[in-house]
Amino acid sequence: MIKVFNLYKSYGGIAPVLSDISFDIQDGEFVFLTGQSGAGKTTLFKVLFGWEKFDRGQILVGGINVGKLNEKNLYQLRRKVGFVFQDYKLLMKKTVFENVAFAQQIVGANMKTVRTKTWNALKNVGLVKKKDSYPSQLSGGEQQRVSIARAIVNDPELILADEPTGNLDSEISKEIFALFEKINQQGKTIIIATHSAEILRKKERRHLLLKRGKLLQS
Amino acid sequence: MNLFSFDFIKTTFSNIKSNKQLFSLSVATNFIAFTVLGIFFLLFVNLDILFSSWDKHIQVIVYLDDKISNSNKKKIELLFNSNDKIDSTIFVSRDQAWESFRGKFSSKSNFVTSLNFNPLPDSYTLRFASGPDRLINIRNFSEKIKNENGVESVEYGEKWISRFEQFMIFLRGFILVFGVVLFSGMILIISNTIKLSIYSRKDEIDLMTLLGATNQYIKVPLLLEGILQGVSGSLLALVSVKFIHLYIVFWFQGSLESVFRGLELQYLTKPIIFSVISTGIIVGVLGSSISANQFLHRHNSE
Repeated sequence: MIKVFNLYKSYGGIAPVLSDISFDIQDGEFVFLTGQSGAGKTTLFKVLFGWEKFDRGQILVGGINVGKLNEKNLYQLRRKVGFVFQDYKLLMKKTVFENVAFAQQIVGANMKTVRTKTWNALKNVGLVKKKDSYPSQLSGGEQQRVSIARAIVNDPELILADEPTGNLDSEISKEIFALFEKINQQGKTIIIATHSAEILRKKERRHLLLKRGKLLQS
Repeated sequence: MNLFSFDFIKTTFSNIKSNKQLFSLSVATNFIAFTVLGIFFLLFVNLDILFSSWDKHIQVIVYLDDKISNSNKKKIELLFNSNDKIDSTIFVSRDQAWESFRGKFSSKSNFVTSLNFNPLPDSYTLRFASGPDRLINIRNFSEKIKNENGVESVEYGEKWISRFEQFMIFLRGFILVFGVVLFSGMILIISNTIKLSIYSRKDEIDLMTLLGATNQYIKVPLLLEGILQGVSGSLLALVSVKFIHLYIVFWFQGSLESVFRGLELQYLTKPIIFSVISTGIIVGVLGSSISANQFLHRHNSE
């Protein structure tokens, strides 16, 4: 699913933010990306997602060479990847249903498909009853569920979740991780960036450890 | 999805609905700019009519010697006919000229009625094809013809024609410069309004790009919004110019007719109306494309 070779990325400072990163992730894997704040987790995600450019190296995501993409065909990568943001990035003027449906509409799905897939995604994250609520009427955990529903609604092969429980308490975090495991069992590749030691202790999953831009464990 | 698919149109109207004030402001500024352009065209159309009527009066009169032989007369006529710059040739006999002169001036002066002979010669009235070289053609032809046997003199009001031609050149240049300035200004207005519209929905557009929207999906509603701004502004301006036209006709038609010898104030011609609306569309497309492209380029190259 993902192949990264000798990846370098800097913001113009002396030390690169990502330095000589190489790893492989297979289809259907569930991987944690860990490291302290500032280790480069978010930058690595952004680079994998084509959100930021990199200086050197090669990245293949689902067969797409990320370095070769230009602004006109970047959408091809974005449609293969569902991104779950730490700050949810929900549209406050849209209902839960509309927020999830939005991801379907922008890829040009017809109305019937939008309705069916949005409904299924909300069912998957257990939010059908809240479909007409606005994000401001939801708890943090519920908002993150909406964000996850939106990430899976287009049926992407890969889910990247950047600190999805960063703003949530431990009970809600467990629910969110359980949800990711459920999605993983449906065949999706999942990478979660987290610095939650508790989660890492409990979950025996492969994890990539970043420290000051270098990959210490893969 | 094509440009006018239901989804794009729906998105465009939903964007306008959520940015009503901004949209209205842009339409209003375009309306003002297009009204200025419309008034300018109104002036231009009517000046053009006026100048066209003056243009018809530009003529060369070739006066013939009383003792001109038939062969010389034929030679001169041949010269007229062989010159493709001459549109029309009218022969005015000395009797016709005297008749016309007496008709015009006998009531104003006793001298005309007291003359018991005809002092006027035979003449030809020539009209040259209008165009940028007309004055040169007239001048060259006059120089050539005045030395012919049997030609007494040639008159064409060189200074007047020269000033008239220069004024027309200036007017055309002025229209061009004024049009370019106004056109650029309007593109700037729409471009900035669309920019404000984009920034007021920055989060939504950012999210669209992150969720895999194509550039076309993001740009088309903005393009349609720009077109709507331009077209609405231009249509409203055409209506307001029509009101101005009606107002002037209602209150000042009499004065205009007496000052400009029967000039009837006209509204904009169909090609000009079409041009104003087309300009609205072009300004809308250019203005919104500039802003949308700038935003997407900046966003994607972060």
